Amino acid sequence: MSFVLIMAAAAAAVAIEMLEALAIVLAVGMARGFRDALLGALAAVVGVVLLCLALGPALLAGTDLHVLRVVVGTLLLLFGLEWLRKGILRMAGRRRRSSSHDEFLEQRAALERHPAAEGRHWAARLVSFKGVFLEGLEVGLIVLALGGAPGRLTPALLGAALALALVGAIGLVMQRPLGRLPETQLKLGVGVALTAFGTFFTAEGLHVEWPLGDLALVYLAGLFAVTAWLATQRLTRTAPAAEAT
Amino acid sequence: MRTVLSSLRHLILGETWTIPIGVGAALLLAVLVRASLSESAWETGGGFALAGLVIAALAGSLRRSP
Repeated sequence: MSFVLIMAAAAAAVAIEMLEALAIVLAVGMARGFRDALLGALAAVVGVVLLCLALGPALLAGTDLHVLRVVVGTLLLLFGLEWLRKGILRMAGRRRRSSSHDEFLEQRAALERHPAAEGRHWAARLVSFKGVFLEGLEVGLIVLALGGAPGRLTPALLGAALALALVGAIGLVMQRPLGRLPETQLKLGVGVALTAFGTFFTAEGLHVEWPLGDLALVYLAGLFAVTAWLATQRLTRTAPAAEAT
Repeated sequence: MRTVLSSLRHLILGETWTIPIGVGAALLLAVLVRASLSESAWETGGGFALAGLVIAALAGSLRRSP
């Protein structure tokens, strides 16, 4: 049960973060050429993998299982609650809706406003590197946190691999699908899942025995989804819409 | 260097301090609740207490948002 849930949560989180990275790489590629965009992205991927290889064993070789679960749970709570908060504000019209397609258009327009000069290919590589590195680092931390408990690394890595393959396929078909994805709702859903996992692991680390075992992940996700819906309703009613990034 | 550190802080702690503070407070309160309950009461009800504290942390961060 938890195998499938961890794989699904890792796949969803990785797919959404990688869509944002893809939007930046596509924008750089179309404005300045795909060679520079892919070089920057490749360097970022190597950097993220090296960082994860350095951080992973330290996290996974934790001596006390309960301490490890609290650390992993806290990390997931930090990520999950931030995604939930932003998702609720977006759904309530307090923030601009999330759109990798818009990000792609803005990034491409910004690059086109500054025509390439001699040596400017480094600027393109740097934009691509920064976008992929920051999104990739978040992916790496989420996958490490989800896979941090014993026996959970395999589903987390499988989910991440599935998501990477999916986003890669979308990248091959280019930008059109980016505009059709309900990203705000997807991000809110990932926030719900990460918060549920974070609460589950942290409580296990504090010696809680969840009623129904791993099924607690399902009712915790339901509880946080209902909370998010109620908060969205309340915020929608109580204040005028505002634009913010 | 400052930009990189700022990006990392933003990445891990988020764009507001309310969530890290809320999560820290939730953990601290959970530990205090655990100390005040019997072992069996904490084992069965502690998870729900923590979930309630997490929801309170979320509500607090939303109150401080624009």
